Amino acid sequence: MTITATRSLEAQDIEGATTALQSQPDSKTRRYDRQLRLWAATGQAALESSRVLVISGSATSTAILKNLVLPGIGHFTILDHESVSPADAGNNFFLEGFKSIGKPRADEAVRLLSELNEGVEGKADHRTLESILESEPQWLTSFTLIIAHNLHSSILARLSSLLWKDHTYPALMVVRSTGFLAEFFIQFHEHTIIESHSETAPSLRIDKPFPALKEHALSLDYATMDPTEHGHIPYVVILVRALEEWKQSHEGNLPKTYEEKKQFKKGVLALKVKSDEENFDEAEAQSYRCFTETKVPSEISTLFDDSAISPESLRQDSSPFFHLLSALKEFTIQSESHTLPLTSTLPDMKSDTKSYIHLQRLYKIRAEEEKQAFTSYLRASVDDELIDSFVKNAHGLQVLRGRQWGAFDADKEALATALLTSPKELMIHLSLSALSAVNSRGVKPTLEALREEVQAIIGEGVVPPDELEHNIGELVRAPTAELPNMAAFLGGMIAQEAIKMITKQYIPVKGYCVIDLIETWTGVVGA
Amino acid sequence: MADTLVDSNGTVTSSDWKDRFYHVDQILDRPGPRTDPSFLAGDEVKDFLRNNCKILVIGAGGLGCEILANLALTGFKDIHVIDMDTIDISNLNRQFLFRQADVGKPKAIVAAQFVMNRVPGVKVTPYYGRIQDKDDAYYLQFNLVICGLDSVEARRWINATLVNLVDPENPESLKPLIDGGTEGFKGQARVILPTVSSCYECSLDMLNKPTAFPICTIANTPRLPEHCIEWASVLEWPRVHGDKKLDTDDPEHIGWLLSVASARAKEFKIEGVTWSLTQGVVKNVIPAIASTNAIVAASCCNEAFKIATSSAAYLNNYFMLIGTDGVYSYTFEHEKRDHCPVCGGESLEISISREWTVERLIEMLTESQNIQIKRPSLSTPLKSIYFQSPPQLEEATRPNLEKKVSELVPDGGEVTVTASTLPFSLSLLITYT
Repeated sequence: MTITATRSLEAQDIEGATTALQSQPDSKTRRYDRQLRLWAATGQAALESSRVLVISGSATSTAILKNLVLPGIGHFTILDHESVSPADAGNNFFLEGFKSIGKPRADEAVRLLSELNEGVEGKADHRTLESILESEPQWLTSFTLIIAHNLHSSILARLSSLLWKDHTYPALMVVRSTGFLAEFFIQFHEHTIIESHSETAPSLRIDKPFPALKEHALSLDYATMDPTEHGHIPYVVILVRALEEWKQSHEGNLPKTYEEKKQFKKGVLALKVKSDEENFDEAEAQSYRCFTETKVPSEISTLFDDSAISPESLRQDSSPFFHLLSALKEFTIQSESHTLPLTSTLPDMKSDTKSYIHLQRLYKIRAEEEKQAFTSYLRASVDDELIDSFVKNAHGLQVLRGRQWGAFDADKEALATALLTSPKELMIHLSLSALSAVNSRGVKPTLEALREEVQAIIGEGVVPPDELEHNIGELVRAPTAELPNMAAFLGGMIAQEAIKMITKQYIPVKGYCVIDLIETWTGVVGA
Repeated sequence: MADTLVDSNGTVTSSDWKDRFYHVDQILDRPGPRTDPSFLAGDEVKDFLRNNCKILVIGAGGLGCEILANLALTGFKDIHVIDMDTIDISNLNRQFLFRQADVGKPKAIVAAQFVMNRVPGVKVTPYYGRIQDKDDAYYLQFNLVICGLDSVEARRWINATLVNLVDPENPESLKPLIDGGTEGFKGQARVILPTVSSCYECSLDMLNKPTAFPICTIANTPRLPEHCIEWASVLEWPRVHGDKKLDTDDPEHIGWLLSVASARAKEFKIEGVTWSLTQGVVKNVIPAIASTNAIVAASCCNEAFKIATSSAAYLNNYFMLIGTDGVYSYTFEHEKRDHCPVCGGESLEISISREWTVERLIEMLTESQNIQIKRPSLSTPLKSIYFQSPPQLEEATRPNLEKKVSELVPDGGEVTVTASTLPFSLSLLITYT
């Protein structure tokens, strides 16, 4: 089954399309309705073709998987050679209480997780990670994403090094938790995002109107206009015209000083012929759009310096994203306005239907023209839908570059900075690192052992903040406790980040995300 | 392995097997560096949690399913759940206690049964119905209340009810209320100690204003597909179907709205009317995913666990999370609002023009972000000003709508505002400008 797309209407016979539209969507679309409103059919397709490996069948691991199976990933494997202990049976919802004790943990978890969604394939694997790393490491690279919960430091280091070897290898999510404290980290080389769902709207380019818009705005004759029509001129048109007139009397400059801005707004309101013309009130409120020149946003122009699009790095086999980015750079240099391609999405505004639809059409036609111009700078063949999406979301593009797991702990300079800027977050991270290291060596986690371990990471002579004692105290209180609430909390957090990584929509967290469920807060360190 | 399942009499037991609470007991057996001194580590706290604590969960939907599972695993054994809804196919992407075959059945009953089957020894008592069906005696039996609701009205009702329950002479009457909510990748969890800390009503102005389209836009100048859909549901449905109520869960009704809205959109050359948008607009659909619900529900249950056991400090008092751009969260103390109509106990002072009619005042009360009362009735200590119901009283007081408030209420006079949806009355002190 595929998600019903309602987009390709124009291609179809209108009659047929109208009837098809009015029948209820298929059951799969209805099942996924509440999430399709967040990531649409493209995000759903990415989820459905993903393969996720989760190492260990702990309560945390099954809590994560629950939140990935429900929205419909393609496949998951649980790698776990343990059998269910009485303690497991008490804290894992995806085991059947005491009935599961003694049975293979991966089998029980896969069976009960699979009940959540028949569209998802689940597999239990009873090998150990050690044996796979020795005999079949390439098997690990066949997944989209690997999630590892509470692995010992030594084996985790081997896994992370293997996956760091090649930038095409899967991302690794490292999760650690004990009692009320936890952290997670996503190891990835590079993550590019087109649909970041940025909350800033793209520019309407009122200060640099395209010819058809300028012509339309200047052609209106306010004086002879019917009063109803006058009260429904869209604010975009009002502002384009007011600003053109302003520029003519101000040597081509935009209103700059506070006085000038005030004067400009006054001028807009003075255009009213009746006091209740809300469109002019709206124009005044939107006047700020006339006060700064539309340019390529700095977050985007920074991307133009990215090494991946330098002439020597960009090759035919580079990812479509970088071909698109390179074309975007060229477009902003070559286009007259030196801006990003125009948006075709017009916000709602006070207006009558005719004026609004006319304005919307002008934007659509121009956006299509600029898209064509943009496409002419592409040096590789890229799918048309991807071009559309890229142009539409150009103001929110993201290129994230990550670090290897553990690199932060070895970076004395970064640690010193974090000690000053985020001591609370850093102390949770280091306490958990220390616990893992101590466990790895088979030493009993005492306050002294953990304190020494943290000191060794930050360096002799560096005084740790008071929070350290609180955190290691908690770890010593409950050194192996996997609390059901923490497992569920992490289950949500990790699944959310996994969905962002897989769909390449929204922006995943960078660095170590730490969680304190005593005072109930989260933070980020080592980004 | 078998010996762990045999109790001292030599019989096999299905609940509280040895090490069942291995994980949670690490927290309950000893204090941590930040634990309150009143914490009684060991058997006493475990006995209270597992044998005496009674907890109420309101809502068995996206948050409710998660809350029930977490509470059961944490060791709460006497759990009650209320929900008035039945299961819909669109719930299955997150409400993980329900299956395809459960569609149409009551959520509270199915969820309770599932948790009891999965977690041995836990008693979950469902009530399929409205929270308003229950009286004070019912709510007084619980130690804690957790809400996983999607309705502002229901939250205001339970909040006001629990505030009214507080009897200063009886500490047992103070029931901590833990409230969670989500929308897409965003959510929040908070702890409310009725009359002590900020209550739900205190933070009413933090809610987003619902999108409302002016009726003249819908009728005369549609520009967006949403305007066409509103036209179909608000104007055309009652015109064509008379008194027949629009059921936003009935696919035939949605299909009818879609065809009417599509025709109007075509007439005005507006693009983008789809089934999904139509349903979204008329049902006010909020995007919802399993992961956000899991985070918020876990946070609520964690607070319930900490409050029930005193094993660690609890949230003071508001945690909000935004997961769209990285992981951003903010934990802060929401302050009590002065003159909160529920927990403030004082009158709200408002200053209006002498020219305002009663109708204008009612409009203001409906629109204000702090007040948000639907269909309010108004009276002074001496006489009724306007009553929404019963019909005879409405008719008798209707002429007052056009009168000036200043003709009916002296400067500095008191007006009592009531609404059938709220279990409290709001007292206004009116002054004139």
